[in-house]
Amino acid sequence: MEIKNIKSTNIPAFFDQLIKSGKVVIAPVLKKSGKVFFEAVQSYSQVATDYIQTGFSAKSVVFPKVEVLFSFNKTQDGIEITDSINQIPETVVWGLRPCDGSAFNYMTEFFLKENPDAYYAARKEKTTLIAISCAKADAACFCTSVDLSPGSTSGSDILLTLMGEDVYVEVMTEKGKSVVESSASLFTTSEEKSKDAYLANIEAKFSMEEIKERIKTAYDSAEWKNESMGCFGCGACAFSCPTCTCFDIQDEGTQNKGLRLRCWDACGFGLFTKHNSGHNPRTNQTERRRQRLMHKFKYSVENLGIVSCVGCGRCIRVCPAHLNIFENILSVTK
Amino acid sequence: MIGFKTAINKLPVPCFITNASQVEQLIFTPECKGNLSVYLHKIEVKQAQKVGILANVSTLRSLVQLTSENQLGAIEKTVITINAQNEVVVFTTMEEVEQYVQANFPAYTEEDIKLLEHLNSLTRTERWQYWTEQFSACVKCYACRAVCPMCYCSSCTVESNQPQWIKVSSETTGNLEWHTMRAMHLAGRCINCGECGRICPVGIPVHLLTAQMNLDIEKEFGAKTGFSCKSGYALNTFKPGDKEQFIK
Repeated sequence: MEIKNIKSTNIPAFFDQLIKSGKVVIAPVLKKSGKVFFEAVQSYSQVATDYIQTGFSAKSVVFPKVEVLFSFNKTQDGIEITDSINQIPETVVWGLRPCDGSAFNYMTEFFLKENPDAYYAARKEKTTLIAISCAKADAACFCTSVDLSPGSTSGSDILLTLMGEDVYVEVMTEKGKSVVESSASLFTTSEEKSKDAYLANIEAKFSMEEIKERIKTAYDSAEWKNESMGCFGCGACAFSCPTCTCFDIQDEGTQNKGLRLRCWDACGFGLFTKHNSGHNPRTNQTERRRQRLMHKFKYSVENLGIVSCVGCGRCIRVCPAHLNIFENILSVTK
Repeated sequence: MIGFKTAINKLPVPCFITNASQVEQLIFTPECKGNLSVYLHKIEVKQAQKVGILANVSTLRSLVQLTSENQLGAIEKTVITINAQNEVVVFTTMEEVEQYVQANFPAYTEEDIKLLEHLNSLTRTERWQYWTEQFSACVKCYACRAVCPMCYCSSCTVESNQPQWIKVSSETTGNLEWHTMRAMHLAGRCINCGECGRICPVGIPVHLLTAQMNLDIEKEFGAKTGFSCKSGYALNTFKPGDKEQFIK
């Protein structure tokens, strides 16, 4: 790790240098609806600075909501297949929160550990993550409960922490280093400093060690029903989640010409587990919500050694019924 | 008993009480905006012998509309509300609910009227552009469908894949197809609770599609939704005296 300093007044110049480098720059933008979402921008003036969390996570950069895997075209000479993997641009994600940065650790384990996914690998390889520490949090934030913090560097290439007129820059990876070097004149070296005074204070809702232990026997808890009855069965939590990786492969077009797509899917949908025969092993929302929560806190730990909830709080903010994941987890592990 | 309680983050969350000792959890505040009638379609609720529901006006209107659509026949229900004077009102029949709804019929919100007026002042092309831009952000999480008490089909058109009427992938044209189809299915049935718009994760005012159609249907047919347990559905009720010729 390298520590650098940049004047906050030089941030727009640093940002514009990223744009000039020809990379696609994805940053938080305030939309007319009053919500902040990541989208491609052309200038720092478009970038939102006053936000606690973006509506959706940055996962779409490496795992788009709809990804064209390839296109096919039947001709007289045979079938022409165009693989879209060669068209992935160099991308910088600006302003993601430390929780989102760490979500990429899980995503990478999930997509690359066994049977590596070429599309994810190509996108991740071309993506640089510039995270910004959280100076503010809300009631939905709970990163400190899942062993992260508003200043976690894990998963990000660079973490920026605003310290008054200065910005404390933690350069974590080679990718981060090359981005900083491209604007070298804007940065000075800095000694290691404590970020604590500049970070949001987020009280831990539970001890992760305790939950990991208790959730081992939570499958049969009677509380699942109470905690899940309010669940409407939409995909808002899964689609806004930075670590939900389920997808559905779809072909669109005709027999002669078309696309093979990878689309986001959600375990909250009844259709998610429906078999071709019509049988559905998960018959109700209680079982579906249990699957979602157990996956985050138990199955991903067993399979990949990682708790796949980063405490970003999006599922809480977005839930039409106001269901609360940490309240649910506390209840089923009582 | 279906009602609201306070979640850990102070927001109202639906609660399902099966024991009298839990009744004290119930709250009824202006923040309890959710439309609880949607839970009456849940299998666990349908299986219950008797159901109580602590209903706001939106929920009461849905109950009236669902009754007119013959959807609540088998459920033995107790409907309770708290009126403007802060008094508990317990309804014993749907006729009483109907009377209460008619006496307390909610108006469109000022914000909705303003946006509808703006949209109606646009040209067709501009309006098309507005909705195209809105729906380009839709991710097809189907939260709008999930919170809607009038979306009670046991299998939705979007879940059909042989044939596939609506694409699974989320992109502007397919998203428009989905929202157009949903709006058409709800035309003159939507009870204007506005939940689909309120809860949309990307902030699409999707409730305005059906709100506008309700205004049109009220103008053309004089029919209000969630107003009467007995009135038929304006778009499939025919009378010998109707002015339209195509049915004769």
